[in-house]
Amino acid sequence: MEQTSLRQAPDGKGKFKKMLTTEFYLLVFLVAILVMMRIAAPDFYSLNTIMTVLNYFSYLLIAAIGMNLIIITSNIDVAAGAIMSVVAIVIAFVGKTGAPLPVFMAVGMVVGLVLSWVNGLFITKLKIPAIVATLATTQLFVGALPLVVEGSIYDLPASFTWLAFRAKLFGALPASVVFAAVITVGFMLFMRYSRFSKKLYAVGNNKYAATLTGINVNKVMILAFVIAGPLYGIAGTIIATGGQRVTTTMANGFEMTLIAAVVLGGTSIAGGSGKIIGTVLGAFILSLITPAMNYIGMSSDWSDAVMGGIILLAVVVASISTLTKKKKTIVVPDAVVSASASSSGEVK
Amino acid sequence: MADGMETLATPKVKKRFGVNFNIALILILIALIAVIGTVNPTFVTYNYLMAVVVKNIMEIGLMALPMTLIVITAGIDLSVGSIMIFSAIAGGMAAASMGDGMGVIVTLLVGAGCGLVNGLVIVKLKINALITTLATFFLFRGIAKGITHGDSVYSYDFTTFAGNTDIKGVPLVLIVFIAAAIIFTLLLSKTGFGRSLYALGMNENATRYSGINADRTLIIIYIISGVVCAIAAFFYLGRFTSVKFDVANSMNLKVVTVIVLGGTSILGGVGDMRGTIIAIFIIAVLNSGLTVMDIPIDVQTIIQGTVLIISLIVYSILGERAKKRRVIEVSKEDEPRLVDKAPA
Repeated sequence: MEQTSLRQAPDGKGKFKKMLTTEFYLLVFLVAILVMMRIAAPDFYSLNTIMTVLNYFSYLLIAAIGMNLIIITSNIDVAAGAIMSVVAIVIAFVGKTGAPLPVFMAVGMVVGLVLSWVNGLFITKLKIPAIVATLATTQLFVGALPLVVEGSIYDLPASFTWLAFRAKLFGALPASVVFAAVITVGFMLFMRYSRFSKKLYAVGNNKYAATLTGINVNKVMILAFVIAGPLYGIAGTIIATGGQRVTTTMANGFEMTLIAAVVLGGTSIAGGSGKIIGTVLGAFILSLITPAMNYIGMSSDWSDAVMGGIILLAVVVASISTLTKKKKTIVVPDAVVSASASSSGEVK
Repeated sequence: MADGMETLATPKVKKRFGVNFNIALILILIALIAVIGTVNPTFVTYNYLMAVVVKNIMEIGLMALPMTLIVITAGIDLSVGSIMIFSAIAGGMAAASMGDGMGVIVTLLVGAGCGLVNGLVIVKLKINALITTLATFFLFRGIAKGITHGDSVYSYDFTTFAGNTDIKGVPLVLIVFIAAAIIFTLLLSKTGFGRSLYALGMNENATRYSGINADRTLIIIYIISGVVCAIAAFFYLGRFTSVKFDVANSMNLKVVTVIVLGGTSILGGVGDMRGTIIAIFIIAVLNSGLTVMDIPIDVQTIIQGTVLIISLIVYSILGERAKKRRVIEVSKEDEPRLVDKAPA
């Protein structure tokens, strides 16, 4: 009885219920880690460790939100790390002159926006699959940097590292966390109330149907990249201001962690689904792994393996739950598929 | 199986373009060699071509062969570099404690095992190949890092032999590559198995309904990919005498570059092993040629990126044309209509 009523529930309701459980499982997992750390390594809850974790979490989350928007439209961005590296170097140039944070952060956001926009143009106007298009632009960005700068920019003034070392709320909380909180809340509201966010999901779910309902698919996709760009810019700024030296390879490879956070958060790589809160939880779990392993006495050499294992586990669990759901209703999609196939044959 | 597949209309379209394209790729390759050879004649000497130009690309070349099969089925394997390093490291450690024979066996088993894991997760749990292999990219590299504690693993007799043996100036790895290239070309173009890969890439559901064991086929190609990565590991470990877990981080993207340049569509269903093979040599000539011409390594990255973008644009334009032709031949599909309606 219970199952039949579930199956007959209106689509929206069933979907909502499914979404809730994905995030619910993540939350349970997260709480389990935190409780386990409390028991196994009480030292973990020192102010210093927590603030370090939060700082990493903040820039991982800010960039991951941008990646989430892109993945919802069924694209992917493997150039994110390269863009952040470019941002880091550009703002180091600006910051070296003693410019204050608002100035170079704005510059970073503009740089992120422009580079990400280029990616969006490649994907939509030239119809190149996102993964190869961003792969190609990665090589351009990564290759261009060392031509402008040799190795690194160093001896940066105190005004540059102000964000990481002095900008603390109540004497402890890093300002980057405040940025992350504001951005996260802003995007949660945006995803909930704006009409544009619904278009993101529509495009990700079915491009053809979205076109038929009057959505400009290319424009939505480009806008997803354009919104993600400044977020990469902010994340790149936080990464760069973490020290007095900015290298040309600072954020290379970071895109993999971003994608991991988004996928762990329950966003389907096929597009059309995913929530900001899932990305928040995913990013938080990933930022806990390395410090948590240190504190329970495991070598941090295993952190990559644990991260890979957790992502794999998360997608496997998600897939098994959808597979079992599909089995109950498999007759319907099959009939639809064969009907549409035969009708398209008749058109000819 | 093969008889049924021959009636498919699409491979014909692919063939018409595939052949033209390979000729264009060969012309590009010859032009590149000619230009670089004129600027610096040492480049075109036999020894240099064999010892530097060819030898530096062969591991990537080997891995690109099975990857072409995977991409044709609309899949992707981002974990190839990690599988290579993991199997090299596991083999090296086994050889150090239990002798060379064990090292070879462990390397191959680890490679096959990693491929099996990828294949099972992708096929049985129906998880997107990109996500699966992204996770296993971290997982395999992470295990390699964990078991070595981040230290190097050293070459043993067998890998030293594999990595440094020349037969009349021809490196052993090139001979292995040519053999593998012939096998893979025949496998893809002359067997029912190869045809079924195209079918899977075009329309997986239809392929299943036509009686092809799609699950088995897909798992097999991921295992093949793992084994070939392990074979590449022998040469890689031998050539560099020691490896660390993080030396092959960007190798997956290099392999993808080769395949895309070779004309295989990342969306699946379209591709050609000969294109991949020519593309490997184009990248090899570009890499070493630009070094010979004293062009800094960073400019080389840019040039490679540009080459990739140009090839993508050309393929995308031609793909559109092929699609339009296919619309007339087969039926009206979703995609072309979407394209027509998309505003400029």
